[in-house]
Amino acid sequence: MWLVFLKEIKELVRDKKTLFFMIAVPILVMPAFAGVAIYFAHSAATEAQNKVLNYALVGGQYAPNIDTEMLKTEGFARVEIEQDADYKELIKSQTVDFILEIPANYSNDILQSGQALIKLHLNDSGLNRVFNRVNDIVDAQVKLLRQTAFSQLSLSEDQQIALLKPIILEKVNTADTRENWGEKIGGLIPYFIFILCLQGAMFPAADLGAGEKERGTLETLLISPIERYKLVLGKFLTIAFAGLTSALITVTSLALWGLILSQGMAIEFVVAFMSSIGSVDFILMFLMLVPVVAIFASILLSLSIYAKSYKEAQSYMGTLMMLLFVPIFLAMAPGVELKGVWAWVPLTNVALAIKELIKGTMDYFQLIAIFGSTALIATGLLAFCIYWFNKEKVLFR
Amino acid sequence: MIEIKNLAKKFAVENPKKLSEQEKKDPRLKGRFFHSVLDVSFKVNQGEVLGLLGPNGAGKTTTLRMLSTALQPDQGSVDINNVNVLKNPLLARQKIGFLSGSTGLYGRLTGRENIEYFGQLHGMSKSGIESRISELSTMLEMESFLDRRSETFSTGMKQKTSIARAVVHNPEVVILDEPTTGLDIMATQTVLDFIRSLKKSKVPVIFSTHHLGEVEELCDRVTVIDKGISQFDGSLQEFKNQAQDGNLHGAFLATIQQGEL
Repeated sequence: MWLVFLKEIKELVRDKKTLFFMIAVPILVMPAFAGVAIYFAHSAATEAQNKVLNYALVGGQYAPNIDTEMLKTEGFARVEIEQDADYKELIKSQTVDFILEIPANYSNDILQSGQALIKLHLNDSGLNRVFNRVNDIVDAQVKLLRQTAFSQLSLSEDQQIALLKPIILEKVNTADTRENWGEKIGGLIPYFIFILCLQGAMFPAADLGAGEKERGTLETLLISPIERYKLVLGKFLTIAFAGLTSALITVTSLALWGLILSQGMAIEFVVAFMSSIGSVDFILMFLMLVPVVAIFASILLSLSIYAKSYKEAQSYMGTLMMLLFVPIFLAMAPGVELKGVWAWVPLTNVALAIKELIKGTMDYFQLIAIFGSTALIATGLLAFCIYWFNKEKVLFR
Repeated sequence: MIEIKNLAKKFAVENPKKLSEQEKKDPRLKGRFFHSVLDVSFKVNQGEVLGLLGPNGAGKTTTLRMLSTALQPDQGSVDINNVNVLKNPLLARQKIGFLSGSTGLYGRLTGRENIEYFGQLHGMSKSGIESRISELSTMLEMESFLDRRSETFSTGMKQKTSIARAVVHNPEVVILDEPTTGLDIMATQTVLDFIRSLKKSKVPVIFSTHHLGEVEELCDRVTVIDKGISQFDGSLQEFKNQAQDGNLHGAFLATIQQGEL
């Protein structure tokens, strides 16, 4: 069995295609894509922030303070427009980026004039920072007007605070940061890991079954003095190893690159979140993946050995991948928890268990039951694979 | 010694509608089963070379696959040096060196690694494998390409490596399914010389071929299979006598025609 395993691994590491998908993609290509996406998003945000905005001010005479502030502030360029101009058309033709419309009831004495509604006309469909930049100016005026009004009313500082927010509803969350973020992103992690395990195992699986048929090496292997089950186990271990390795490399790579690429708050958050998960939980998560990968490896090898060619094997595996989305998506559906019937749905229960481990709310006795049932399914599928490998109509289709 | 008695093998037809008109007319098609081999018997003694002849689709490859334990016969028996192949397939496999007609190599392994792997599967020691590879590479003229990845090999190089792989464990019997198909003259000659050397070492050889010249040159015995039945089994001279002029081509055609009557 180990002889077969070592030979398959040797071949695997010499296959440029497998190496590319197993190592280069997770280490370089995926983070490179993420890096490029982050770079472009950051560039676009910076550009939107620094862009000189052409604007028109309608009713500026009612709010001279705002008018003056906008003229003074860098990054704004005033454009004069006709009184009866079509705002939408002006924005569409990019004559202006926005139009600020001050109402006639605007006054510096808000106790007299009441609330004023300033309209900001803009095309808000694309990435822009117009609202934030205008709001900074308007907000400064709001504070000024509020201060003036409070002074007129002779209110103390405490009274001013109470008037602005008479009641505060404070949320006291009993869930810690780990549970909080675990609930939010814990469902996505098993989804990615499962898909990565499957994807990492697919190429070697196609090669070790259908590839043997296509190359004409299967028959020679079958007449070697080695029991069939040892052949199957050697191939099964190779596929499972490839799946696990691929997932580990990808997850490690994403975590490392995530730390490198993220900045400021993101680093603190990622580090705080990751360090809140204990090493025991990480090990348990990995252990839970073992029977899952065994299930994938058994199914993939069975499909591959049934297929007449590499191409046929890949088409079966594509369908399998789509079918596997179902239990994984179920685990992410709202309201689906590791309780009742969901605890017994294969793969869904593992995904939910991983989520619970991330949150730090896993019942470890239940984890043993899930591990046991998943391992049982994996053993059954492996036994089927061995049986399948002994069928002449499968081997010599 | 190899002895085959009344071997038979049928296969379920996956989709009978997809069969060609000619296949539908084949008398071996019975219901949902195609009886690829109906009744094949022959015997090869120590040091003899048996040529297995027959038209395409006659059942030669199925017969050889049953001999090699790749397929399980429905009926009959196969004995190799008093080992019942059906009852002791693992033991029999240690005695057989089999080169299938559609054989291939692991492209990402070198020629040497391909041979080594099968030596290891046969439980050979490292030094035993090394010395055997050295011996075979000289016999089959493989030294120049032995340590190259086999994905770069020509057809001849592949076939030589496949033969070396098939006999790395010093098998007691050798079965070769069309070993010279697709080879150039030089490579063919090397393979034929190798069969000759096996004969000298008293290793019984069965090889299927369509080249009657090779039969004339090497074989002591001939078996002709047609429509899953062994139509002739005898010495080369007895086979030649099937034709009036002693010509192998004529003998082959006469045997097939007799079977059809």
